[in-house]
Amino acid sequence: MNKLFPTQEVGSLAKPSWRVKGYRGAPLSKEDVTEALEWGKRLEIADRDILGKLLTEKDSPKKRKAVLEWSAKYAIKLFEKAGLDVYYDGEQWRSEMYEHIIRNTAGFEFLGHVKSFDYRYFNKAACISKPKYVKPFYVDEFLFTKQNANGKIKVPFTGPYTLVDWTFNEYYQKKLRGKVKDFRRKKLEAKHEFLFDLINEVVRPEIRNLIDAGAEWIQIDEPAATTNPTEEEMELFVESFNVTVKGFNCTFSLHNCYSNYGILAKYACKLRNCSQLTLEFANRDNQKTGVGDVRVGYKELKLFEEYGFRGKYSVGVVDVHTDFVEPPELVRDRILHVVNVVGDPSRVCASTDCGLRTRTWEVAFQKLKNLVQGAEMARKVLK
Amino acid sequence: MIGCYVTGILPRTKELVELTRAYERGKAGERELEKAFEDATLKAINAQSSVGLTYITDGMLKWQDLLRPFTENLVGVKVGSLSRWFNNNTFYRKPVIVDEIKREKSIIQNSSYIKLLPRNISWKAILPAPYTFAQLSENQFYKSSEELMFKYAKILNEEIKSLAKLGFKYVQLSEPTIVYKPFNQCVSKDEINAVSEALKAAVDGVQIKTCLQTFFGDFCKILPEALDFPIDHLGIDLYETDLNKLKDYHFDKGIALGLVDARNSLVEEVENLIESVKEIVESLHGSRQKDIFVCPNCDLEFLPWERAQEKMHAVGSVAKRLREELNE
Repeated sequence: MNKLFPTQEVGSLAKPSWRVKGYRGAPLSKEDVTEALEWGKRLEIADRDILGKLLTEKDSPKKRKAVLEWSAKYAIKLFEKAGLDVYYDGEQWRSEMYEHIIRNTAGFEFLGHVKSFDYRYFNKAACISKPKYVKPFYVDEFLFTKQNANGKIKVPFTGPYTLVDWTFNEYYQKKLRGKVKDFRRKKLEAKHEFLFDLINEVVRPEIRNLIDAGAEWIQIDEPAATTNPTEEEMELFVESFNVTVKGFNCTFSLHNCYSNYGILAKYACKLRNCSQLTLEFANRDNQKTGVGDVRVGYKELKLFEEYGFRGKYSVGVVDVHTDFVEPPELVRDRILHVVNVVGDPSRVCASTDCGLRTRTWEVAFQKLKNLVQGAEMARKVLK
Repeated sequence: MIGCYVTGILPRTKELVELTRAYERGKAGERELEKAFEDATLKAINAQSSVGLTYITDGMLKWQDLLRPFTENLVGVKVGSLSRWFNNNTFYRKPVIVDEIKREKSIIQNSSYIKLLPRNISWKAILPAPYTFAQLSENQFYKSSEELMFKYAKILNEEIKSLAKLGFKYVQLSEPTIVYKPFNQCVSKDEINAVSEALKAAVDGVQIKTCLQTFFGDFCKILPEALDFPIDHLGIDLYETDLNKLKDYHFDKGIALGLVDARNSLVEEVENLIESVKEIVESLHGSRQKDIFVCPNCDLEFLPWERAQEKMHAVGSVAKRLREELNE
């Protein structure tokens, strides 16, 4: 892509109520159907009436599958209409980034909800036998996206380090019973074995299948990358990324957000075959326009440069946790500021901080349109 | 004595999880929520007493995080943004210190179900230790984090004394921060001395037993200084501690051994634990008769309720066996 500052989204988009209810087999209200038709009109989806009719049909496996396809099609069109250069399907086929893989892989059992914070919980699984690849879990959605998208596509892939970090490790700890006495040593050894089994048995086979199906760019999502900021764990994370992508003829990038960038920066330069880091900054920044000191949220980007990362950066210039719609001028200045830090505009891309799943489509659409406009304004400045 | 207890917040039961989620979505009212908390608290209490824990808590089910009762009930503190809870996939709200901190009412009484605790078993209270509270807060008022630590220690002292009056027999101060030092950093000697002074202020005049429970990090990082802390018992997270190094030290204090992993759902085998615990006690205490407590390494809330119950059972079983074997 020769264009400066290509614009990207990072993965998820909220699921419309007709997608949620339609897939669950729950009855849809009139408003749900109207919403589907109105967005269809806005996004200029010519055959939207077919969806309207589908939504009133009786629940069936065929209908559920069709609902997934329609919502993916809508999400793709939303991204295209906003004018993005790189995108996917808003992860409309996936229940959630963790559950989707775990449920489609053998060797895991969900144990129930544990606290995330306050009255929020997440469903946590345990690894109870050696993970086994049962069937492709991303290939179908990828093929559908490829068929329906006109632009460049990038497949978000939940990274193995995060999957392991978010899972109870029963099987491998059990294996070491009686063999390793030291509690701490046992935990680390078990984690190591779990991680590389998961990579070799599940993650790499899926990557192989995605590439065979035509995938050219896979974004490894590792929100847990810096959760354990010790040297040993960070080295393990780096190794996990390098083993995951090794030998594949495909572009790989890493997405990490809401993390300790001081730590990540130190290790990012050790990632092999990582063409781009997709990082979250807008959330840390203020809303004033301008470049230089005013861009407090982007301070840590410098560290990645200092430690020697030489790939591209896709910097978050749009915050996904607020309804505030960044004006294009703010997007422009954030990009221009990053250009000053990095020094080379060809290494800068513009994206949202993370997936937009917590925003309404209305807000997400506005934010993305301004992202595209702001990037265009930045290009003009550099001309 | 050889005792056993839990060391933190217990998980909410499945029913309570469902109810709190419904409450969040506006589909359950205050009264239903309160009832669900009481029911789950009774279960949490019963689960502890039925496996023979020596000291019990109310399960701390209402506590959104270790600091929250203080964050919400102290004057001068505001509830801040979400921050990661150490190296876990869970989050707490930062206490933001905006003014002189004051305790105008009982903190724990307002966040606990003391009335549900049975009279025939001793009660244990769990509170954030001074260093942890100060380090995890966003201090916008005091000149230094150390000043905040000492102010909080004084408040803690009032709270502990009021808990003792209510009938609590044991108080645990939770201190993850002092040992959670990624990249092998250690706390400086000056800092450890200050921590010791703050602990002294916190337990000054306190008549009930006290424990400094460390977790998420290697206890060896605060050795040998911790051996002189003005506290009765020292709690160690065995899943984070370098055991070989630990065994080089002799403890004249009682120890609370976190030998059941609250961050993994695999339930430990009692037989294996007994063997380990005997070795550790032999190294740390030798022939000296000191208090020994068997416990989970940290809050059991990292597990779903059923697993936490099994882990408590393991804790109780290990303590029982140990009593038999050490002829107590």
